[in-house]
Amino acid sequence: MESRQSSQSLQSTGSPESAEHRQFRAGVRAWIADNKPAQPDFMLPQSFLEVETEAQFDYLRRWQKQLYEAGYLGFDVPREYGGQGVDSARQSIVQQELGRAGAPFFVNQIALQWVAPTILTYGTEEQKKRLIQPLLSADEIWCQGFSEPGAGSDLASLQTRANAVEGGYRVTGHKVWTTLAHFARWMILLARTDPEADRYGGLSYFLFPMDTDGVVIQPLVKMTGEGGFNQVLFEDAFMPSDSLLGAEGQGWKIAMTTLTFERGAAQSQNRERAAADARALSELVALVRSTMRDGRPVGDDALFRDRLAALWIELEAIRLGARRASVAGLTADHPHALAMMHKVEFSEFRQRLNRLACEVLGPEAMLWLGDANAPDRAEWPRGLMNSYGFTIGGGTSEIQRNIVGERVLGLPKSK
Amino acid sequence: MTAPPSTSNPVSAPVSVEVPAKIPDDFGFTDDHALLRDTARRMMVDRCPLSEVRRLAGDPVGFDPDLYRELAELGWTGLLIDEKYGGAGLDTLSMALILEQTGRALLPGPLWSTIMAALAIDSAGSEEQKQRFLPALARGEAIGALAWSEPGGSWQPDGVNATAGKSPDSDGDGAGYLLDGVKTHVLWADRADVVVAPFVIGDELSLFAIETATTGLAIESENSVDPTRRTARVVFDRVRVPEKARLSAGHAGSWRALHVRGYALLAAETLGAADAILALTRDYACERIQFNRPIGAFQAVKHPLVNVLIAVERARSLVAGAVAGLDGPSGAEISPAVEISARMAKAQATEALNFAADRGIQLHGGFGFTWDCDAHWFFKRALWSAATLGDAIHHRRHLAAYLLGR
Repeated sequence: MESRQSSQSLQSTGSPESAEHRQFRAGVRAWIADNKPAQPDFMLPQSFLEVETEAQFDYLRRWQKQLYEAGYLGFDVPREYGGQGVDSARQSIVQQELGRAGAPFFVNQIALQWVAPTILTYGTEEQKKRLIQPLLSADEIWCQGFSEPGAGSDLASLQTRANAVEGGYRVTGHKVWTTLAHFARWMILLARTDPEADRYGGLSYFLFPMDTDGVVIQPLVKMTGEGGFNQVLFEDAFMPSDSLLGAEGQGWKIAMTTLTFERGAAQSQNRERAAADARALSELVALVRSTMRDGRPVGDDALFRDRLAALWIELEAIRLGARRASVAGLTADHPHALAMMHKVEFSEFRQRLNRLACEVLGPEAMLWLGDANAPDRAEWPRGLMNSYGFTIGGGTSEIQRNIVGERVLGLPKSK
Repeated sequence: MTAPPSTSNPVSAPVSVEVPAKIPDDFGFTDDHALLRDTARRMMVDRCPLSEVRRLAGDPVGFDPDLYRELAELGWTGLLIDEKYGGAGLDTLSMALILEQTGRALLPGPLWSTIMAALAIDSAGSEEQKQRFLPALARGEAIGALAWSEPGGSWQPDGVNATAGKSPDSDGDGAGYLLDGVKTHVLWADRADVVVAPFVIGDELSLFAIETATTGLAIESENSVDPTRRTARVVFDRVRVPEKARLSAGHAGSWRALHVRGYALLAAETLGAADAILALTRDYACERIQFNRPIGAFQAVKHPLVNVLIAVERARSLVAGAVAGLDGPSGAEISPAVEISARMAKAQATEALNFAADRGIQLHGGFGFTWDCDAHWFFKRALWSAATLGDAIHHRRHLAAYLLGR
């Protein structure tokens, strides 16, 4: 959504920071104000899940590249791999300022948040040197090849095969829900290398080059009519030996590392998300303030007020939780709970927020994208529908609750 | 794209929803806090197991005076009181961490009420008044009570109808006040040595510290839903108190500030109880076998417990935020940001304990509905906590007014 004026009533002043970080924040804020791209004349995607057209992609890629070149991206990556050297406080500041300004998101989200930390953990020196820098600059886009038509929540049942051949592997199989595959240079690919081994031990993790013969990418259309994700068919597609990440048979373990990052292990990511969520709530508050029903402001209706306040509490809890997660003494009762709950929390918060907005819109909630009279360009019903991408993708809320129940509360495994 | 883009209709202008309380990234938590918390946890596990809560629930006094004195010796009663009045002079975070542990144990007894009464006298009393009450309260030699409510059921700080009128010197002990009115649900008033209560003089609110030995004061025990929380009605019918009973700085502002501190500290205690009933229910779900497996393996049991965990962890984050706000640079001044944080903490902690206790009874099955299962003590504490200093709806009503500007 576009940046707009901001009320001063409850303006955040943030937490006490070192003078150096305060100065850095001021620099970031000024840079964003000067460089944030203007709203284009085409519709932007609401998140990285819905990047469909070349125009959307170019606009978003340019923005990420510009930020990288300005030195504001890569504070969780060492300098020798193209990063800024590790300084998580600075990364947090950048993410918060981007969220606060309502700046466009990073198109290479999968690469930045999930692929980079996985490669930094398991990659060879060559893989790190070759792959990290271009993903920061958005020169090389990444997609994720985990889910299959027959392997969703039960990921370990996947059937895509990678057979060792002279100089590499040949891949045959079918991946689905592959966000950004149509723009991707690389895919993190989970495939079966040993069909004789058990369902976990037979899996290997690859950094697969997408510009290979035998790869067919077919776009899928979302419930909103938007694109952005695909199915990818592998027909005896070749990849060289150095595509393997870690060792053969280590795929499940590495995939779990990736999923941990995807689901909210990176606190700087969560803080950015909280800043973006704060923005979404502030837009909902503005909507409530400006919407009339039966001659009275919707904001006078006790039922709407109560639910709005409940969302505010929820947002503040998520925001404080993202900070508390890094204070060991304040997480002693349920270590890792915050990181493991995060995906359920933020995705369901967004769903509730967009749902409430549609209810505030009342009769106007039926107007869809393209209708000149649709309030807020129909961003709310669009947001409500797109919110399911987050409660389903990356592990459904139901699977997440199993994981939290088993790993945090120590409940017995569901069979 | 099947849906063509629209270029008109800018999205409505946003307003800031960030709570601006200035709190440090570590919420002020230090190794000393960890030590204090762990000590308190061990003390409660050793001295206040649920069997003891059960015993005291049926005890005429309702708490263990020996344990209370021990807690005072550990400094818990005077934790927030300045050292020169016999306290430890520690921060709100320290107090909150201890209250979380006493809440976890459902500790019966007048710890929270004494802490709040002492805070009232500390923030509103004169030097002489502080000297008179605080050392005894801090040392555990005196018990304090605070009268939050009156008949009619208001949680508003300004919902005070009890009156104080000037009373001339009648029997040679100087001028004083005549107090009229009724205070309800006064926690541990029947055991207290001093009750702090607000009265209206003219149209101004004023706080009084009234010794319960005062002639004419009637303290009538209530039958509290939570037997670990004994409450009483305190009736003032032309009760004469001396001039010095009026807290010199006890005005509407300090009364409101005391409410905000109360929200945060009660939220901390409520949070502890919520986490404890979650643990109890979780343990039962691991032990109870049905259909040849522990019931916790069923998603119909597992997922609600995760939802409880989410509610509890949210409360923990909000309590940490509220407490850090109270310990912030604004000092005794309660900024709107701190009030917002404290209301959020109280609302969420109340919701968390209600929900945790609700699932606690239900997931214990038939046993959960019995007197023998300990889940009901938490359920009763949940009812008491929600009824004290505002439930979630009450605080959301006030939060909405902040958020919407009216």
